Amino acid sequence: MGSDAVQQRQTADYVSQDAQFQLRERQYRQQYSALYFTRLLQLRPVLEDRVRRQWPHVQALEILKLAAGVRCAVVGTLYKQMQLKPSILDEYTKERSAVPLVAPAKLVHDDDFLILEDMSGRIRLTGDALRPADYATGVVVAVLGVEQADGEFAVEAVLLPDLPPQPLRPPAPAAGVAPPRYVALVSGLGVGAPGVDPLQTQLLVDHLGGHLGGSQAQQLSARTVRVVLAGDSLHAPPDLLTGQALSAREQAAAVAPIQELDLLLTQLAAALPVDVMPGSTDPANYSLPQQPLHPCLFPGASQYDTFSAATNPHRFSVDGVDFLGTAGQPVADLLRYCGRDDPLALLESTLRWRHLAPTAPDTLACYPFTDSDPFLLATCPAVYFAGNQAAFATTLLQGTDGQRVRLIALPRFADTGMAVLVDLATLEAQPLTVTTTNLGGP
Amino acid sequence: MQTSGKRPGMQSVGAPPPSKRLNGGPTHDTPGDSPDPFEDPDFMEEEEEFYVEEEAPPAAAEIRLGGDDERMRQWKRPPVEPPINQATDDIVFQQLDIDYVVGTTNRDLLPYRRSDKAAIIRMFGVNSQGNSVCVFVHGFEPYFYIPLPPGYNPDSRDIYLRDLDTALANADRQGGRPGSNVLDIEVERKQSVLYYQRKRNRPFLKITLALPTMVATLRGLIERGLMANGVYLPTDTYESNVLFALRFMIDRSIVGCNWIELPAGAYRLNRGRARSFCQIEVDVMFDKLISHPASGSGLYSTLAPFRILSFDIECQGRKGHFPDAKEDPVIQIANLVTLQGSSKPLIRNVMTLNSCSPIVGADVFSHDTEAELLLRWAKLVRDVDPDVIIGYNIANFDLPYLIERARVKGLQEFQFLGRVQNTRIKMRDTTFSSKAYGTRESKEITIEGRLQFDVLQAMQRDYKLSSYSLNSVSAIFLGEQKEDVHHSIISDLQNGNPDTRRRLAVYCLKDAYLPQRLLDKLMFVYNYVEMARVTGVPFGFLLARGQSIKVLSQIMRKARTRDLLVPNLKVQGQPGDGIAYEGATVLEAKQGFYEKPIATLDFASLYPSIMMAHNLCYTTLIPKNQVAEVASDIGPENVTKTPTGDTFVKADMEKGILPEILEELLAARKRAKADLKLAKDPLEKAVLDGRQLALKVSANSVYGFTGATVGKLPCLEISSSTTAYGRQMIEHTKMHVQSKFNIANGYKFDAEVIYGDTDSVMIRFGPDDVSMAMELGREAAGYVSATFIKPIKLEFEKVYCPYLLISKKRYAGLLWTTPDKYDKMDTKGIETVRRDNCLLVKNLVTESLHKILIDRDVPGAVQYVKNQISNLLTNKVDLSLLVITKGLTKTAEKYENKSAHSELAERMRKRDPATAPNVGDRVPYVIIKGAKGARGFEKSEDPIYVLENNIPIDAQHYLENQLSKPLLRIFEPIMKNAARELLHGDHTRAVSILTPTVGGIMKFAKKRLSCLGCKAPIEKGTVCEHCGKRETELYQKSVHNVREMEDLFGRLWTQCQRCQGSLHQDVLCTSRDCPIFYRRKKVQKDLAEATTQLSRFEF
Repeated sequence: MGSDAVQQRQTADYVSQDAQFQLRERQYRQQYSALYFTRLLQLRPVLEDRVRRQWPHVQALEILKLAAGVRCAVVGTLYKQMQLKPSILDEYTKERSAVPLVAPAKLVHDDDFLILEDMSGRIRLTGDALRPADYATGVVVAVLGVEQADGEFAVEAVLLPDLPPQPLRPPAPAAGVAPPRYVALVSGLGVGAPGVDPLQTQLLVDHLGGHLGGSQAQQLSARTVRVVLAGDSLHAPPDLLTGQALSAREQAAAVAPIQELDLLLTQLAAALPVDVMPGSTDPANYSLPQQPLHPCLFPGASQYDTFSAATNPHRFSVDGVDFLGTAGQPVADLLRYCGRDDPLALLESTLRWRHLAPTAPDTLACYPFTDSDPFLLATCPAVYFAGNQAAFATTLLQGTDGQRVRLIALPRFADTGMAVLVDLATLEAQPLTVTTTNLGGP
Repeated sequence: MQTSGKRPGMQSVGAPPPSKRLNGGPTHDTPGDSPDPFEDPDFMEEEEEFYVEEEAPPAAAEIRLGGDDERMRQWKRPPVEPPINQATDDIVFQQLDIDYVVGTTNRDLLPYRRSDKAAIIRMFGVNSQGNSVCVFVHGFEPYFYIPLPPGYNPDSRDIYLRDLDTALANADRQGGRPGSNVLDIEVERKQSVLYYQRKRNRPFLKITLALPTMVATLRGLIERGLMANGVYLPTDTYESNVLFALRFMIDRSIVGCNWIELPAGAYRLNRGRARSFCQIEVDVMFDKLISHPASGSGLYSTLAPFRILSFDIECQGRKGHFPDAKEDPVIQIANLVTLQGSSKPLIRNVMTLNSCSPIVGADVFSHDTEAELLLRWAKLVRDVDPDVIIGYNIANFDLPYLIERARVKGLQEFQFLGRVQNTRIKMRDTTFSSKAYGTRESKEITIEGRLQFDVLQAMQRDYKLSSYSLNSVSAIFLGEQKEDVHHSIISDLQNGNPDTRRRLAVYCLKDAYLPQRLLDKLMFVYNYVEMARVTGVPFGFLLARGQSIKVLSQIMRKARTRDLLVPNLKVQGQPGDGIAYEGATVLEAKQGFYEKPIATLDFASLYPSIMMAHNLCYTTLIPKNQVAEVASDIGPENVTKTPTGDTFVKADMEKGILPEILEELLAARKRAKADLKLAKDPLEKAVLDGRQLALKVSANSVYGFTGATVGKLPCLEISSSTTAYGRQMIEHTKMHVQSKFNIANGYKFDAEVIYGDTDSVMIRFGPDDVSMAMELGREAAGYVSATFIKPIKLEFEKVYCPYLLISKKRYAGLLWTTPDKYDKMDTKGIETVRRDNCLLVKNLVTESLHKILIDRDVPGAVQYVKNQISNLLTNKVDLSLLVITKGLTKTAEKYENKSAHSELAERMRKRDPATAPNVGDRVPYVIIKGAKGARGFEKSEDPIYVLENNIPIDAQHYLENQLSKPLLRIFEPIMKNAARELLHGDHTRAVSILTPTVGGIMKFAKKRLSCLGCKAPIEKGTVCEHCGKRETELYQKSVHNVREMEDLFGRLWTQCQRCQGSLHQDVLCTSRDCPIFYRRKKVQKDLAEATTQLSRFEF
């Protein structure tokens, strides 16, 4: 099998833009209000501008200046009051048996309602123009409507910040000019997780490294210029890490998955550049932005300069194509707190909200930033992905200002055996499936 | 305003809690223990109200407050539409408050009355359109009875009248000129309520007087020996200790809060100068008004749309001091006006000192001076004209504070808040003392015509809680935490800008809103109104007075229908030294953990039904010395000898009034419950539920009333006979059950009574499954009931399975009422809420019981307890679980013995007087490791200080003094050697103690890096040479630690944001009652430390 001709691996220019997600001095004396404050401060001019253009005759007011019966627009941060939202207080105050052992996947309830808050105050929103199920806490919007006698605000229309500008336009598709080149996106290797087939993972690594398949397959692999592991590569056994003294055997068990992953990464890094993003199950910090995995975890792979540990979220450009993605936590959180079930729709929403993770910090853990909100989307990426989703899905989103964004729901590899190849020229995304069903077996 | 329990009124939190919930019902709980709720001897003091013409209030208020007319106009009540025509229109209204004043006799209605001064009854209420009504009732005169003096005859009447009149004229400070004091003397045939009387209708002398206070005066004279017509009068008096307003209500069949009808033509609309601020003001003769009983449904059982004002004030204390009304200004007052029955407030506003940014949904009134602020509020009260004023701790803080401030500022017009023109509000100190509710010092404030309902007082009466702060009460009943702003921060907010004052105003509004929410949620209005209706006392009595007046009101009403008179018994002792008599029986508890179902048989309304069954009453009791005589007279078959040897007449001969009252109460309760089932409308349901509850409580309190030795009408023969019957019945039940349900009689097992308490018996019938036990329970209940006199009935209610019986009055079990699924876990006497326990105890006990009873996992429970103890000893327990809280009732010098919390308060004052707890605050503390031999009170420390300085906790103290007793109680019946297993096992070997950062030797200590793996000292980096291989593993551990802390940090701080209701502003709350307060502080520190440790890997 295979030809003897050696395929030359293609390369591409790579620039990491993770600096915005990197934390230097970490302090925890501050609270979260500053984060919301800067978020609103940054998005307000955008929305006020949109209000002026959309509703030229309407005045945009602060909540405090509202008068009952007067039609006007208000810009503010949404807060969704939710019945089912779990509260840490329940752990103290509720009877034990009343707390369900497993939190439901969806926390949406018919009685949820939205509150709009600006620097001056808050007001409850009513009306069918905005369904609470479509929004989440932390989203900044402009609403048009009238304050009622009872102090509620009846909303007639809503304006979102909408897609941010895209100064770095992805190249226009020019098929056939040059051989296509790909960036491979993989998430959820789940090394060390119970039930994960190590052979399947090894197959993927071998394939990406060009050690497998016929010439066609090898060609495909040679054209892959970079692999990005979008989180949850590792499944660390949490019960071994509670701080109890470990026996020698337990010590070994605790590090075995990391060593296994290091081996895989070493093989990959030897073949092509690899970005490793941390995810919710990786040995990195918990709250967003997650900081790069520490090199001491990967004594083998970190010897290669092709290996780079990235932040989550991770932003980078490959040959001028602007990539942005997360290991999936923002989307997972929105799935729980919004009525929508489609990860792509939620990805689109976050772009239109110009915010990568609006539910941070409310229900999504996040660092208490004081003078910036790194999750604001000032510019529109060309490829926007969320890792660790249940299934692969993709679409091309076109903005009114000519923005073009490839949205990708990246499936968990451990469950699906699927990686995704993104064509740098056309922005097409195609699944790459590895399966062990035809291999091995008795 | 309610800030970290800082009010002086919060002292009462430390007073003994009510022994039982009001609506729990004494019979159901522990009726035999003590009838003490009735020992409130001072409740019958008659107080004179004088109608004094005062100068009209200055009109300056109106002028100074101009400019906001538009928003203030909506404060007024709807106009009376259409205007009333006194010749053709009936006036129908719900009365809420009844009192009386002494004024000038109304010569239009009473042209021939002999005295110029008269007691005028005033009724305040609301009609169904929401108009306020004030009725002046004339012509009702005070009176009382004495037995007919020997030698009295119709011809000597005038001499008696003259002699009594003269005696009064000499004695009574109000006594007018001779001839106008005693209005009438007449002979009526009555009999005493006390003892069975063979001879009916003895003659009594009814003495009618001009003014209510004369009753007490003349009674005193007579008791001390008064001569009339040359002979000494009998010294016993009857019906001489009834408050005048209540006397009027009893005689006119008016009960608290019922509907009154004034028929057209019978009343006179006020046309001259108004005497009140009410919209409808009328004069009427006392016999012309119609009282409608509140029963069934329809208008007369509803509630009028009366106006409830809920308010809260904020004041600006100086640093380090509790606000003092003599010095510190009121800076904000938030108000919420709600119509009874409406879910949304009618008016919502906040009045501030200095400018304040607008608030959505609330009117903001800003003022340049405190005087204007206070006058604005006075205007609000006059304009809104609330029928009920509520708030949290208003009786002892907000109202006295406002009144004192107005006095300091010299604001005369502020004092006119009542409904009666030209009458100032009054304030005086009172002490309310009863064994049930403890001694409370409080202010009594009279705002005429308006009821005050302090939600704090109602909570303290009706619920047994570990903390009564508004925050903690809201958390329990409304499921939400309240933001708590420390008073040192209040000053900063006030001194800031309009936005910070707005912040404070929002907070103040919430504090005005929460009492209203509690009122709604706990149905206080419905329950109290129905209690007033059932017992017949005015609404205002329910919070201000004790239990016995409610029972006495019913006895007097019933006695009146039978021409019986209630004697005025002299008080026989001091509260507390009541004569002891044997209480209820408790069958010995057979301690153990029962895995087979235990059926419980309960006596329904045990004490009431005993009293009914055996006709136990004042009127049926035969005095000891007359027993033989009476028995031979009416036949021995017609008397009952009780187990205590007292003798009562049977019902066929003479039905007692107590059994009759009880029968009516229980029948009415049955009706109310039936109506409740049919009711659809939630408001109607609330009324009916309140009614059936009030009826139940009332029925149960009759027994206690008879046993209150310093009460108004004690009769120990009744109460001790009742409990004796109760004891006998429990034994009787045990005997019958065990002799019938056994193998010899064909049953599968021998039944065994394992425990019996007052009104219930617990039986192990033997079968394994719950439904079998239920069937046997039902059979036994029917079988045993048949052996009792009606209406005594044994009911089968529930099965416990499994059942952990610890000792008498202490047990826990899963409660089943249907065989399919258990209802809940039921515990009794296992302290999970005691205030001097830390949260860890409660959690441990609850969780252990859960594991034992629900999961049926005893080894799991043991393991759990061991783990927790191990965590405690290795310093892994969340500090907030270890906090103990005590109320600081006086300063440390005044405590006779040094106590942990007062000493700590003193130490904290030395550190920072601004944030140290003041008298009235609750002091939270933890027990820390002290120097060797340190005394207990020296080992208390502020939890925050402990957190910040890594001070080690005295885990051993917690283990021995807090955990061991409650845990052993649970585990001893279950396992052998519980103490050794749980408290001294292997899991207690590992101990770790924090290194403090302050004090002692630490001043000389130097910090050095140590290896994360083996703690060996190192120069730099993370691990020593030997642990180098373990770096990955150690990194994983460190990062895992950071992860957990980050997760907590996020969840805790966002929770506080949600609670304060703002995303864009920092959380200010410092509520130490909040379970996450310390945790939130600790996680900041822990997370910073964890990240620092993690950053050691970056090199």
